[in-house]
Amino acid sequence: MTNNPATDKPLVQFDQVTYQHYGKPTPALSDVNLTVRRGTFTLLVGPSGSGKSTLCMLLNGIIPQILGGKLNGKVTVDGQDVSKTPVQELAKSTGMLFQDPEWMFATLKVEDEVAFGPENLRRTPSEILDSVEQSLNYVSMEHLRNNLVWALSGGQTQKLGLASVIAMSTPLIVLDEPTANLDPVTTHSVHELIIRLRDEGRSVILVTKDLDEFMAEADDMILLAEGRVVAQGAPREVVNKHGNKMLELGVWLPETTEIGLRLKAGGHLKKEVPITVAEAVEAFADARFKSSRPSENTERKETVLVHAEDVEFAYGNKFKALRGVSFDIRQGEIVAIVGQNGAGKSTLSKLLVGLQKPTHGEITMFGRKSRQWRVQDLATQIALVFQNPEHQFLCDTVREELEYSLLAQGIDDKVIINQRVKNMLERLEISDTSDSHPFSLSAGAKRRLGVATMLIAGSARLLIVDEPTYGQDRRLTESLMELINNLREEGITILMITHDMRLVDAHIDRAIVMANGQKIFDGAPDKLFQSPELLQRASLRTTTLRRLVDGLRERGISVPDGLNTVADFIGAMQ
Amino acid sequence: MSDHSLRYIDNGSFFTRIDALSKLIWVILVLVATFQLGSNEARGIMLALLFFIMIFLARVPFKTAWQAAPIILIMGTLLFVVNILTVKSTSFITIAGFTVGEQGYIRGLEFFLRITIMVLASFLFIWTTDIRDLMTGLVHIGMPYRYAFSIFLALRFLPIVQQEVDAVKAAHAIRGRASYSPIRHRFRLWQRYMFTVIVNGLRKAENTALAIESRGFGAYPDRTYTKSFHWTRTGFFLILLFIAFAVWLILWERNIKIF
Repeated sequence: MTNNPATDKPLVQFDQVTYQHYGKPTPALSDVNLTVRRGTFTLLVGPSGSGKSTLCMLLNGIIPQILGGKLNGKVTVDGQDVSKTPVQELAKSTGMLFQDPEWMFATLKVEDEVAFGPENLRRTPSEILDSVEQSLNYVSMEHLRNNLVWALSGGQTQKLGLASVIAMSTPLIVLDEPTANLDPVTTHSVHELIIRLRDEGRSVILVTKDLDEFMAEADDMILLAEGRVVAQGAPREVVNKHGNKMLELGVWLPETTEIGLRLKAGGHLKKEVPITVAEAVEAFADARFKSSRPSENTERKETVLVHAEDVEFAYGNKFKALRGVSFDIRQGEIVAIVGQNGAGKSTLSKLLVGLQKPTHGEITMFGRKSRQWRVQDLATQIALVFQNPEHQFLCDTVREELEYSLLAQGIDDKVIINQRVKNMLERLEISDTSDSHPFSLSAGAKRRLGVATMLIAGSARLLIVDEPTYGQDRRLTESLMELINNLREEGITILMITHDMRLVDAHIDRAIVMANGQKIFDGAPDKLFQSPELLQRASLRTTTLRRLVDGLRERGISVPDGLNTVADFIGAMQ
Repeated sequence: MSDHSLRYIDNGSFFTRIDALSKLIWVILVLVATFQLGSNEARGIMLALLFFIMIFLARVPFKTAWQAAPIILIMGTLLFVVNILTVKSTSFITIAGFTVGEQGYIRGLEFFLRITIMVLASFLFIWTTDIRDLMTGLVHIGMPYRYAFSIFLALRFLPIVQQEVDAVKAAHAIRGRASYSPIRHRFRLWQRYMFTVIVNGLRKAENTALAIESRGFGAYPDRTYTKSFHWTRTGFFLILLFIAFAVWLILWERNIKIF
């Protein structure tokens, strides 16, 4: 932590705030009282649907001024009442980065986008040009200033969003899940930027599930659940007092903290719960571990479902998204494709489902060359669950969605259809929503319905899931992973595209690592995480659990291999 | 990083370097001239001129033009077919083995050429214009910036909508095809594309509106600009040359009819 300029002067105040969205039966926020001080960095955490985004939108007046609804109590930012000060006026105090910054872009070119906000505030052209220069410099994007915004990678898009907010020179910056779609190294660079902003005297409120690096740096943490503030205080204090509640609510916590909480709950940790890897190494320095873990069933799966040989793919004959990629996917495996933003992961998934054909090389799927498969026929063998499941919904109710999938596979016997739909609804615990519109479901239920529509016909042999943890809290992710593991038990092969290294470590048999359109690694996650050079090339980072294990080993403590989850670690302790 | 056909191509071509307002005036002149033309030969020459501009002056990549071709041609082709089928004809001609009414064919071709010229001219404008220049240009000639910006945003949204259509289409394709009758199925799919695209499009539009308001848009009756608008000399010559060409074409056409 460097040069923390925190003061006791409040910048944001919520007094007895209750807010109900227009047309909703219950409030999104209830009796919220909180203060954010000037020059501080505040983490806003809570499970999905706890009111985090609603709270953020109160900070720039979008709620209640544009989205309406019923607001009781008072919210002030920089002394201004957000229900009375026009949104455009509040823009001088609050800069906000939305979850998907592409939506906030109003212009075509990078430098125009950064200039857009200051231009609205009638700053002089020379002032604006200076702030564009500084902001682009801040996010290391000066060289891209003349690029078109839609030609940027995911990470660059996020950084441009941040630069656009920085250029407004507001005392408060609100960031709503800015790293949800970024590779671990880009996430780390966004983290560093946030700390720098705080150190320069701005107040930053961050909504994130990537708490690993932030907990130690943040000045405050606000825990929300069902629209209420459960706790507010220094992260260390909140975790020590309310950590178990956070776990219960499904909040993502660093693995090291989770281990500490579980050990403390069992009476095995007398010290404070660690919130950094270094603290965890210190806290568990006296621990002793069983000499070895029973070896996992490492039976080799030989039936090759998909064989890719020297595959290339180019968009518009210019940009080569894939270059000379070869791999196999075997029956019954869980494989992850990982790598930096723009490495070619999504392109690879499009080739596998037949939406694109290789421009060079060949993919053989289920014994036939990809060029011989039509997308509709391949759909009987491969199921793809999109990151945005709304794109795949076709019908007006959940039940009709499932029926459609059966009809699409040529199953039109009413008795069979009814039986299968009933079974699938029960299995995925979405029976109570069977008559709801798919678009009206919660994020977790939409994901589950996405899986259900692709698997109900029962013919799929390979399930591809794009970013399984995107927009999901820990509990929803765990339930999705349980479903995926059950499917694997039933013989379905799973391929995940993900940035979530914790998921890779805990659930994956094999990782295919992509960098700049090339495959740079294909093997067990253990080997990947042991190679700093590979991790660096692919913009990946190892998990906090592995950093803890490495730290303990450096202290001469014998820690067995194969500790991939919190449960593994605790189970291995004597 | 997929390609989309309805977006600005920043390739530094001659046409790209012309200022936005001159190009807008040019598009309007193309539309006016097209409605003054009375023969399909003259309309054909006008269309050929647009193709010349597209290939040599705007250097639009073949792939972009190819991807946009269905949008450019669909309305004109539909009107062509409808006219052939509905206009009463007294004489008949045979084209590629099909006998069609001559008057219906001529009328159909007229509609096809008019619509295609109008759409292609608009596309040339979209492909070669940084719409921010259009916005500052419109403000420069006195349009309130809120109105100028709404035109800007509408054009900004075109590629986003196209991207959304592609994503929904891809997602639907991999779900397979239900055993409905093909026409019913296609209608149903079309309905769903539209529904999903409209819902997601509205959501994105709403989010964009929220985002730009929260970035101070509309805080003051006016705003500053880091890039000001300048008329270009090439724009002036484009307008002048096109007027000369259109006048010549109209006179040429009338000469053809007179003699």
